[in-house]
Amino acid sequence: MRHLVFLLPALLLLLALPDTRGRYNDDFDDGEDIAEFDDNDFAEFEDVSEDPAVDVEKEPPPRAAPSSTPIEDDEDEATVENEDGQDEFEDADAQDQDMYSKYDNEEFEGYEKTNPSFKNTLIYREVPAHLQNSWESYYMEILMVTGLLAYIMNYIIGKNKNSRLAQAWFNSHRELLESNFALVGDDGTSKEATSTGKLNQENEHIYNLWCSGRVCCEGMLIQLKFLKRQDLLNVLARMMRPACDQVQVKVTLNDEDMDTFVFAVGSRKAMARLQKEMQDLSEFCGDKPKSGAKYGVPESLSILSEMGEVTDGVMDNKMVHYLTSHAEKIESIHFSDQFSGPKVMQEEGQPLKLPETKKTLLFTFNVPGMGNTSPKDMDSLLPLMNMVIYSIDKVRKLRLNREGKQKADRNRARVEENFLKQTHTQRQEAAQTRREEKKRAEKERIMNEEDPDRQRRLEEAAQRREQKKLEKKQMKMKQIKVKAM
Amino acid sequence: MTVNNMADPRRPNKIFRYKPPNTETNPTLEDPTPDYMNLLGMIFSMCGLMLKLKWCAWIAVYCSFISFANSRSSEDTKQMMSSFIISDISSTQRNPQM
Repeated sequence: MRHLVFLLPALLLLLALPDTRGRYNDDFDDGEDIAEFDDNDFAEFEDVSEDPAVDVEKEPPPRAAPSSTPIEDDEDEATVENEDGQDEFEDADAQDQDMYSKYDNEEFEGYEKTNPSFKNTLIYREVPAHLQNSWESYYMEILMVTGLLAYIMNYIIGKNKNSRLAQAWFNSHRELLESNFALVGDDGTSKEATSTGKLNQENEHIYNLWCSGRVCCEGMLIQLKFLKRQDLLNVLARMMRPACDQVQVKVTLNDEDMDTFVFAVGSRKAMARLQKEMQDLSEFCGDKPKSGAKYGVPESLSILSEMGEVTDGVMDNKMVHYLTSHAEKIESIHFSDQFSGPKVMQEEGQPLKLPETKKTLLFTFNVPGMGNTSPKDMDSLLPLMNMVIYSIDKVRKLRLNREGKQKADRNRARVEENFLKQTHTQRQEAAQTRREEKKRAEKERIMNEEDPDRQRRLEEAAQRREQKKLEKKQMKMKQIKVKAM
Repeated sequence: MTVNNMADPRRPNKIFRYKPPNTETNPTLEDPTPDYMNLLGMIFSMCGLMLKLKWCAWIAVYCSFISFANSRSSEDTKQMMSSFIISDISSTQRNPQM
């Protein structure tokens, strides 16, 4: 009974304490020696006797689960209470009794301490990431390194696949090439012209093969242009835009091996592109590509030709048969005696000289499989190589008749004239600048001459030359006038 | 497989040596990717070093890897490796900031 009587005010006091403690947050943060506090800090505790009246209402509120810090609080309380006790000893005896009853820990079981202000003051600082020693702080590095490892794996796999494809191609074509060419495989560095018998690796995705030593041609360069399987970026890009491996064959001919004509056949897209890009096709084959259906080849192929006679001559039965049976593998076939590569854009606007031309047969084939090629697919390109050999022999035999030859010659003369006209102003300017340079150089020489006599003589010589030039010009003008009359 | 019924078409006396195509006259034939990636790698590594941005350094690493993968075998391996090392190792210093 007596205990219960003491319990009530003790509980009320406890409820009051958090309020008081809240006011002294700074002081209690560090948990330092509380004895340092002034007596004045606890002046408010003197009004504790009035608080129970207020706190009576607070009492019914829960004294449910015991908090984990009752013992701590008790200690704080204890120290606080000591101070309080010291202050209030003089005050009232009844209060003393209340104070002492608090020190009994067992009485506070199940009592919920509502002094969160104390807990609030305990701030848990975040340890900076770079001082932590957990895996989480390295997630960026782990991610990046994983990406790099994936890239390296892809590089190795892609490189090996390309290498296997190249070897498979060469194995299936080796016999045909060796039976047609004296030199198969040359990298240009060895002293003797002996067949290396293997491909030149230019890149991880480009392989070259040079064959030479045959009638009707100078040489043949075969380029295996595979997809960039070794580059992960490229692999991902190809998922958006499918592409296929290509085999490019470039046969260079001697002057006597080919008559003068320009001809191309291939897929419609390729023909449209080549007509814009290639110097000779744009100049000599001005008309739009004709559909191949007129000549018995599939609709998907179109033809660019200098004149009808050329088309008729090239598209014989065997050629048509080749084109029809392998239409999907043919990207473009380009025969030209004026081949100079794609149009070159120069900074001055126009090249001053006509580009060098070479008699060439160009073949571009698509490897079936659209990227997912296997070494077995390389065998399907063998008939196309047969077509190449056949074309070389055919072009040698193909001769234009008289009319065709005249037309071809006229075309070439026309192209040259156009070129000269376009560059006329530029050539004039270039000549003018050259003349001015010469004059300036001469004048400088004269000025630099120390000897006055020599100076005078040089000046006179220059003057005489000028006079002669003027006279020549005047003569020319007179002649032109006379002719006009 | 005989292509024509005449004699062997091979002519050992008509052999021409291989001449690598001159890339100066045909700039369109060259693939600019390895050069661009090399340059980007250098720029990013400098950025990462000066501005202390770790993501720059990682992009530089990737750029140099891509440049290496796309490079031509005729290029000097030593130069490639030196640019690779300069752009990567020096810029992946452990920095407190990200």
